[in-house]
Amino acid sequence: MKQSELISIAEDWFQSKNWKSFPFQQKTWKAFLNGKHGLLNAPTGSGKTYALWVPIVLQYLKENPDYKTKHKKGLKAIWITPLRALSVEIQQAAQRFADDLGTGLTVGIRTGDTSQSERAKQKRQMPDLLITTPESLMLLLASKGYDKTFKTLTAIVVDEWHELLGSKRGVQMELALSRLKTVSKELRIWGISATIGNLEEAQDVLLGMDSEFRKNAVLIKSNQKSKVEVRSIIPKKMETFPWRGHLGLHLLEEIVPIIKASKTTLIFTNTRGQCEIWFQKILEKHPEFAGEIAMHHGSIGKETRLWVEQAIRNESLTAVVATSSLDLGVDFAPVETIIQIGGPKGIAKFLQRAGRSNHRPGEPSVIYFLPTHALELLEASALKRAASEEVVEDRIPYLLSFDVLIQYLVTLAVGNGFFPKEIFPEIKSTFCFQGITEEQWQWCLNFITLGSQSLQAYDEYKKVEVTPEGLFKVESRQIAMMHRLSIGTIVSDSMMLVKYVSGGFIGTIEEWFISKMKPGDTFVFAGRTLELVRIRQMMAQVRKSSKKTAKVVSFMGGRLPLSSQMSKILREELQSEADHKRNTPELKALSHIFDRQERESIVPGENEFLIETFKTREGYHALFYPFEGRFVHEAMSSLLAYRISLLSPITFSLAYNDYGFELLSDQYLDIQTVIDNNLFSSEYIFDDLQKSLNATELARRKFRDIAVISGMVFQGYPNKVIKTKHLQSNSQLLFDVFRDYEPDNLLYLQAYRETFEHQLEEGRLRLALERINSQKIIWKQCEKPTPFSFPIITDRLREKLSSEKLADRIKKMTLQLEK
Amino acid sequence: MIQNISIKNNDFKLHPSGAIYWEDKKMLLIADVHLGKVAHFRKHGAPVPANAAYKNLEKLTEISNHFQPETICFLGDLFHSKLNEEWQDFEKWTEYTKAEIILISGNHDIIPQYLYEELGIKVFDELLLDDFLLTHHPTEIKGAFNLCGHVHPGIKMKGVGRQYLRFACFYKTLNSLILPAFGNFTGKHILKPSEMDTVFAIVDGEVICVSKK
Repeated sequence: MKQSELISIAEDWFQSKNWKSFPFQQKTWKAFLNGKHGLLNAPTGSGKTYALWVPIVLQYLKENPDYKTKHKKGLKAIWITPLRALSVEIQQAAQRFADDLGTGLTVGIRTGDTSQSERAKQKRQMPDLLITTPESLMLLLASKGYDKTFKTLTAIVVDEWHELLGSKRGVQMELALSRLKTVSKELRIWGISATIGNLEEAQDVLLGMDSEFRKNAVLIKSNQKSKVEVRSIIPKKMETFPWRGHLGLHLLEEIVPIIKASKTTLIFTNTRGQCEIWFQKILEKHPEFAGEIAMHHGSIGKETRLWVEQAIRNESLTAVVATSSLDLGVDFAPVETIIQIGGPKGIAKFLQRAGRSNHRPGEPSVIYFLPTHALELLEASALKRAASEEVVEDRIPYLLSFDVLIQYLVTLAVGNGFFPKEIFPEIKSTFCFQGITEEQWQWCLNFITLGSQSLQAYDEYKKVEVTPEGLFKVESRQIAMMHRLSIGTIVSDSMMLVKYVSGGFIGTIEEWFISKMKPGDTFVFAGRTLELVRIRQMMAQVRKSSKKTAKVVSFMGGRLPLSSQMSKILREELQSEADHKRNTPELKALSHIFDRQERESIVPGENEFLIETFKTREGYHALFYPFEGRFVHEAMSSLLAYRISLLSPITFSLAYNDYGFELLSDQYLDIQTVIDNNLFSSEYIFDDLQKSLNATELARRKFRDIAVISGMVFQGYPNKVIKTKHLQSNSQLLFDVFRDYEPDNLLYLQAYRETFEHQLEEGRLRLALERINSQKIIWKQCEKPTPFSFPIITDRLREKLSSEKLADRIKKMTLQLEK
Repeated sequence: MIQNISIKNNDFKLHPSGAIYWEDKKMLLIADVHLGKVAHFRKHGAPVPANAAYKNLEKLTEISNHFQPETICFLGDLFHSKLNEEWQDFEKWTEYTKAEIILISGNHDIIPQYLYEELGIKVFDELLLDDFLLTHHPTEIKGAFNLCGHVHPGIKMKGVGRQYLRFACFYKTLNSLILPAFGNFTGKHILKPSEMDTVFAIVDGEVICVSKK
């Protein structure tokens, strides 16, 4: 069949549905059929699934002209999705097209939710299209004979590539692709990405360093502009609206009319805990919603999640309180309205959420922004600008993530086993490991075989073994099983299953939460009040309770930082305030707070850098306001604290948010000395930062993920209670042992490097310092905490840094007694 | 750097290593060494630095040279798990050590008793010496003062300016004294003392009483 004939088959099908194909879809079809790789830049809901699924099917028709009578077996394509929730949508869309054309092609799903029996069935006979996650793909590479499974593969599509790109799951994908390129000779690699600042780089990372792949690739942009209208929910009484907080419940009543006015509303929260609380509170205040609202987050059982997703499609729900678990891809046509509670921190995430609401052609998507504290209105004002100016962020790919590499190598060793000389060129061809040296490679091989760099006397270290032929292989079944259970790069706290005593799975919660409870205590989870009956292994058995409790299940979860683009807009918004323009409704609403800030301190203008000091019961506070986003503040606070601590022995506790940071001490800090000693200098920042990192716990915290991903800490697995007796340890302990006994360990060093490259963003820090040096420093000695300082000084998540002797410090401290 | 305390007219020296020297009995008390933990992890594919394993025996040698005790009593969890290569190093250490060695068995001590006995080590579930009850788990008996381990006690100190520090400690209540874990690859469990308790924190090579000011 000629290409034009194939294309017209697809066009006819579109017509039969009363649709018209978009130019970007046709472009993608042709590029694919011409054997190209590429990256498709298209937003959700634009028809991106058909842009790539159609040519995969057409390619099959081309190669199998008698497809109507004879079905050629074997896996044809893999569709990678970062979220399990997306897979059903894609499966339905793909199956519809395959069936209507009478191809006999099958579409299957394989994720963490897939049952054991279904997996076994798939292993015997793979579907033609497999929809899966990066982790499940890795698990396939950990099974024997995977090369035969993937031999027939013609395409791999990585959906939502922008989501994976800036994370270690992205690295995992790069490694998997490097293997598939060799195993599947006919492979085309395609990515789908929302708009980000570094699309070209995103394509390079996806395709790797091989010039063959890069030369033969295209970047296709859909050019579909989605218009977004941002509406802030401004408190009627600003005077009583809190200065800090993250729940936003004060404005609960404001969203009720919004919910009632539309068919289906999605309410996005930033954490699972916040999601639980909002759901609970809405029902408490408005029992009339009972049965009409639901909750969706990643820790709720699969059955419930799928039920909620289906109910959204059926329009049987008025509102759903959700977290990022409903962020991506899923196209829920009935959704009319989106409400975002609290700052989304990133523009892309915000716009993506906005895009979840219904798209009538020509009409903008509407998203309501509900601030959780007063200064967040500033963020709302900034988001509006970002939306109208179409500002986009970069996603920065990881480099040399040895933890992910080590996990991958053990994965290969668990599967078929591998020969290093075959695998090394593949590794080296990935974007992440393009800079890996022979020595580092050898180090990784030694690490997985010897557990160190030289053979130790009587050592019983066992993980990967080397056969006489030189094949690297895991022989122990226990190690293989433990490794399979540990595959992944998302590190969470130890999870516990929550089940009714009578049976019936409710969901999973973090172990630390349940460990604080005694049998008989009650808590709220998944919208139900539950009483803890007992803890059995990794399972919390509960029963329903009618008691009232304020204890809502909470999760550790990370905090999202503002992107640099977002912080710039935020700074500009603030400066427009300093010039007394107050030209947006949000800024107008904030006027009494700004007035108070002006009265007690100042609102810094474009050329001013504000430092505030004041004393409270807690000690001496020094507040700095660079408005550079959380990550930069994290770095700058530890850099500055370190430099000050060199002047004289002092101890600091550090706090930061997206606006500024605080150095809190039990000693008075003279800001004039900081200015006189030129401590904001951008000279020697690399060196000073390195030293300040040693003094703080930042790298130690990074090490936690690295230790888990590289298999040094075994997390166990909620669904399978395995005996890990005597193998419990924590990454903190390991970090100390490495520091004391193996400080040149690449994984230990990686903790520092990552803190630098990702967490601290050295480049941004330098720019921020240079900007401060060109500004006028204004030091305000205040009477009491100012409105700007409030959200920061009340933050409990703190870093510490000290140059005092422990024995001196302990003399000033008191023992924490039983309450 | 050493704290001297007196309990029931007996003198005890609390050493920053976590060991206690009981002067009247010339006995060195040591809890929760967890020998073999490093090797156990390595055997199961977790590459903890092998060098970390040797430190415990070095520390044991140093402390016994320092006090020259007649008896060394391990208050349980001497060995972390099953037999592994660290046992051979321990064997050599026992040959070298002049003191009599006693083990009060702990929950981790799953190595068969006869292997200890072959090395001349006596193994007990608990031991009553005068009015002192030596156990692994904290245990209450009327009229006796309990010396024990198991808990890996630690405490949290708070200072002005949201400062917090955690230390391993000797934890003394009215009728018991819990020893800190001696092993270098062990964690600690933070306790919240009541007004009645006395806490000796291990701070930078010193034993400091932090409960009474």
